[in-house]
Parts: sequence; C-alpha cells; structure tokens
Amino acid sequence: MPHSTTATLARRDLLKGAAAAATFSIVAPSAVRGSAANSKIALGVIGCGGRGNWVSNLFKQHGGYQITACGDYFADRVESYGKKFGVPAAQRYTGLTNHAKLLAGAKVDAVAVESPPYFHPVQAAAAVEAGKHVFVAKPVAVDVPGCLTIGEAGKKASAKKLVFLVDFQTRADKFYQEAIKRVHNGDIGRLINGTAFYFCGPIMAGQNSPADAEGKLRKWVLNKTLSGDIITEQNIHCLDVLAWIADADPISAVGTCGQRIRKGDQTTSDFFNLVFEFPRGLAASFASRQCGKGPGGIFCTMYGTSGAVETQYGGTVKVYGNAPYPGGQTGSIFRDGCVNNIATFHKSITEGVTHNPTVAASVRSNLTTILGRDAAYTGRKVAWDDMMKAKTKVQADLTGLKA
Amino acid sequence: MPRTPFALWPIVALAAFLPACDRQPPPPAPASRPAATPPELGDVMTNALGMKLAYVPPGELVMGSPLAEPGRHDDEAQHGVVLTRGFWIGVTEVTQAQWNAVMAPAGTDAEPNDLPVVRVKWGQAVAFCRTLSERDGNQYRLPTEAEWEHACRAGTTGPFAGAADEVAWHMDNSDEALHAVAGKKPNAWGLYDMHGNAAEWCADRYGPYAPGEAVDPTGPAEGTYRVVRGGSFGHFSRACRSAARASYNPAYGLRRVGFRIVMEQPPAASAR
Repeated sequence: MPHSTTATLARRDLLKGAAAAATFSIVAPSAVRGSAANSKIALGVIGCGGRGNWVSNLFKQHGGYQITACGDYFADRVESYGKKFGVPAAQRYTGLTNHAKLLAGAKVDAVAVESPPYFHPVQAAAAVEAGKHVFVAKPVAVDVPGCLTIGEAGKKASAKKLVFLVDFQTRADKFYQEAIKRVHNGDIGRLINGTAFYFCGPIMAGQNSPADAEGKLRKWVLNKTLSGDIITEQNIHCLDVLAWIADADPISAVGTCGQRIRKGDQTTSDFFNLVFEFPRGLAASFASRQCGKGPGGIFCTMYGTSGAVETQYGGTVKVYGNAPYPGGQTGSIFRDGCVNNIATFHKSITEGVTHNPTVAASVRSNLTTILGRDAAYTGRKVAWDDMMKAKTKVQADLTGLKA
Repeated sequence: MPRTPFALWPIVALAAFLPACDRQPPPPAPASRPAATPPELGDVMTNALGMKLAYVPPGELVMGSPLAEPGRHDDEAQHGVVLTRGFWIGVTEVTQAQWNAVMAPAGTDAEPNDLPVVRVKWGQAVAFCRTLSERDGNQYRLPTEAEWEHACRAGTTGPFAGAADEVAWHMDNSDEALHAVAGKKPNAWGLYDMHGNAAEWCADRYGPYAPGEAVDPTGPAEGTYRVVRGGSFGHFSRACRSAARASYNPAYGLRRVGFRIVMEQPPAASAR
C-alpha cells in the first residue's frame, strides 16, 4: 500500500540519521555584553530612601552588580547611601533632576528606579532614552499618562535591545506563577467571581506630612499625589494578582474610599471598597485598609465553574476543584520575589533577553488601581474606556524644590 | 480524510503472543510489505488488541514555543531536540473499551465505547502499558514529553498542527465533555486528538527544560509532578497548543486526563 504524499515529504525532512547533527533554526540571543559577559553590571540607583537602600543590599548580595552611581533629591540621603555602598563622591547626584544628571554623567549599564512613584515614568523613560537597562519598583506610575509613558518606554527598550523589568514580587514567585498558569489553562473552569483584599495598619503611624515641599517629598508615602494613594502604592500587590488572574482589562469599577484616622496634611486614604467588572461576566470585589488594628493580609480568591484559586501574599497559594494543585507557602516572598527579579534582570541583560514581559502586565495592573481610585474618589461607576480617553494627569506642586 | 489511509504493517513477532491475550480482536491483517523493509513515516500497525499505532522515525524538532506565540507560558523555552530512535505511537488516545479489555477484572462486561479513558492515575497508565506488554510481547510505555511534542507537531512549527477548532476538542467547542476519539481531523502523521479531548500523561517528571539542545530527553531526575500534554475538553485552547505544558500530581485520577501509548520499535525491525 503506498504511503501518502504528506508522509513521504515529512519522511524526507525527518530521516537524517540517528546521529544527525542538529540543524535547528533557533539561535540563542547574542550576549549583549559580549566578551564582558562575566563582568559586573554597572548599576546606578535612583532613589536612596528606604526601598532604595533595601533593594541595593540585594543587588550587592547577587554578586553580578557593581553600584557605581546614585541619585536622590536629598543630599543627606545620597551621602549616606554613597558611603554605605561605596559610590564615588563624583557619582552621587542630588536635586529634582538627579536622574538626568546621573544618566548624563555616570558610567552605568543599568539603573534601578526606587524613587517616589510620581517620578517613575519620567525617570524610567529617560533611562531608556539614554540606552540604559531599567529595573523599576512598583507602582510604575500614579496616573494614566504615566502608565502610558512606561508602556512606551518598555516597547522602546525592547526595540533598543534593552531590558526593562518591573519589580513585582508575586510575579516572580513559583507558586503564584504555577497556580495562575493553571487558572489560565482552564483548571478552575470559566471564572465567575471573587474577592481581593489588602488589610494592614498605618504606615508611618503618628507622623505628619509636613506642609513644606521638601517635607512632603521626604514623607511622600503620606501624600496621595506623590504616592498614587494607598490603592496604587500598596494595594497594587493584590489588584495586580486580580488583574493577572482575570487576564483582561477591567470594564469598570464602582465604590468608595475615605479617611477616618489620618489627619492634617496626610492626604492618603485609610480605606477603599470597590467592585470591579471584567469581561465575560467576571465580577470581583476589593477592599483595603491602611489603618486600625486586627486581622491583616494580602489575599485574592477567585471562583470558577469547576474550582477556585486562593492566593495569600506570604501564605498559601493553592488551586481547588476538579484539577487541584496543592501549591505551597510563600512565606518569604517579600524578599525572595525581589531576589528573583534581580537575578532575572541580570540574566536578561547578559543573555540579551529583551522582550520585557513584565511591562504590559504591570501597566494593566497599575491602570486597574487608577480605575478603582477614580471610582472611589468620584463615588461614580467609572468605565475603563472613559478613563483611558480622559488621560487625566495627576500634577504635584513641586514649587520650592531645587532642580 | 479516511481514518486509516496508511499501510497496515503487522509486527510478525506479535503473532507468537496472541494466545496470551484472552480478549483480543482477530489477528492483524497479513503483511503488506516484506518484513525486511524498515518502517517508515506513514506506516500504521494494528496490535493484538486492535489498537492502531503509527510509526514516527528518528528525527529532530524545535521543542517549545516562540516568545510571540499567543497563549504561551514561560515554561516553553524553545530548544532543539534530537530523537535518535523511532517509535510507534497510538493513533488515538486509549479508549475506555481498550482500557477495560486490558485492565478490567475477568468477567467484567466491557462496555465498547470510544471515549478516551480518563480518571487514570499516572501509575495506572504505566500499569496498562506493562500489562499490555506482557500480553503481546511488545514493549509499550508512555511517550516521553519530547516524543509527544514531536508526534503532536508532525513537522509543524505553529501553535497547532492544523486549525484549532478542526483538530481539537477544547473548552469552547466541546460542551465541556469528552468526545469519541478521532472525531476531529488528524495531524499530518495521522494522529487524532493530540490537541484536546483528553489531556495525556507523559513519562517525564515536570520541570524547567534543561538549557541547550537535548538528545532523547527524558525529563528531570527528580520531582513530584508528571507532565501532561495536549490539553482537554476542560482546558482553554491555549492549553491545547503543541508546546503547552501542564503537570499534575501522578496520584490524581482526573476527569480531563487520559493517555496514549508508545511502542518501542521492535528489535527485529530495528535490525533491518
């Protein structure tokens, strides 16, 4: 019986002998650092406050980076940081444009943007323009134009063969990754509804946000313009997971927020309560507090037609139902997630992996927080499309700050 | 396309073991080609149980998916794979009737149905292969993950070996139920339901692909989870792609997971 034509053609292609040398068409990306692949990456850190110091310790511990430059508005922070991490005095930059001075004057391969969120878009975009790889803390921006700027900067980075990585711990955790992959594959069926919440006590309890410009900047986390408010600056950790699971832009949000504890010049909210509507009928409620006492945590639980997924930041991540996944504990995710991202950033630079998958996902999550914030501030249901059309800019008053 | 367009090429050695199988169908058809001819791509044999297996010769493939492939996950890193040995692979997933014919206790009334057998734990699928091997003398086993993807792709490099809805029962076209095997179009090598219907256990443990090119890879040496490929009626189409990897605890018998068998190339054929 004759063989089919298809089979014969395929056979001709395939039968190259048992020991045939491989002739694969895929080619490993060329190492962008060429012969210097084993040398350390020269890193400039923009933002020398609490997060900047903490993350710099992890960069140092990685072993593949040399911190060669630093920048912050405040001279005292820059000096303290410079001494701690051995940054030469000539490579320490201050003022509102510290990032621009660093990019123009310092010899760095990459920058880590650890400044207040309000400044992330302009600083990250400038770094890409200057040909630097970018590692940026969450949130990427405090408003829609900032998110769009980050999205464009990420694309431009890929076009210029630069790495651009957004540092979300959950997205670097193997249990989160596996559980959500299973949800996306269909292991809990079609998504129906769920809830996400982030409950914790106050940050900088008892401290006031000073009225003067420098005082406000120093305590930016208490200022909703500089931080994006708690929903964007902090609660993004669980709204990111929600958006990740939903795998879609939300359609709308409605809800409320308020201040019950914070007073004076502290402009951030104490709580948010919202309902998000996603495509395909998925509904998700969200609640957060950054005040008071009592049970806390960062949770997201979503139900589908044949199961559920449960995620606890620092706790259990698990899939229930017809195709269960016991998952595991994420106890040290706060540190481990960042460690993983620092390692991925290094590997991506040395191996030339520049498709930058964290950018679009992070922009979507960030925009989800802004949608919720807009709805809560106005007390009205806000549609995603309207928000994206309006492109409302959050404008900080930087009068009185030195360039 | 006809269901069996390929040559029927019985394994001569099979006949010697036929008496050992008490629920077998009639012996295979007579040889259509001289026994001295090595098997070729396109050859199909029928074993003592009536299961059809297609021959896949030694070859090479790019395993995994390109970064731009819609629906891909991070565990699909593209890498070259060389398979140095040919193998025979089930044209369909093992059916419930075939399962009962081999594994049901004597006296059980076999329900002749063509639905893929599911709710089978990984060890039970391995036991099926072992029992079948003991019955007819050929060596059956689960496919390695690389063999599975090679057979699924059938020379293609895209997400599916055909149009997704034409080759796969997946969540959005299956009414979320199993369907009789071979109800969709086969791939270019005559294999049905590689995409969708029942997902399929592979032999390998699940883990990240080892860096670089691989020769006859068999997966990580350690790990709890076993690889499951192809997606199912209960998976979205992205999970039914050629490169899509799933894994489940081997102790679970899941409504969406079955298997297909591989038969080692018989020594007599290898020597020819």
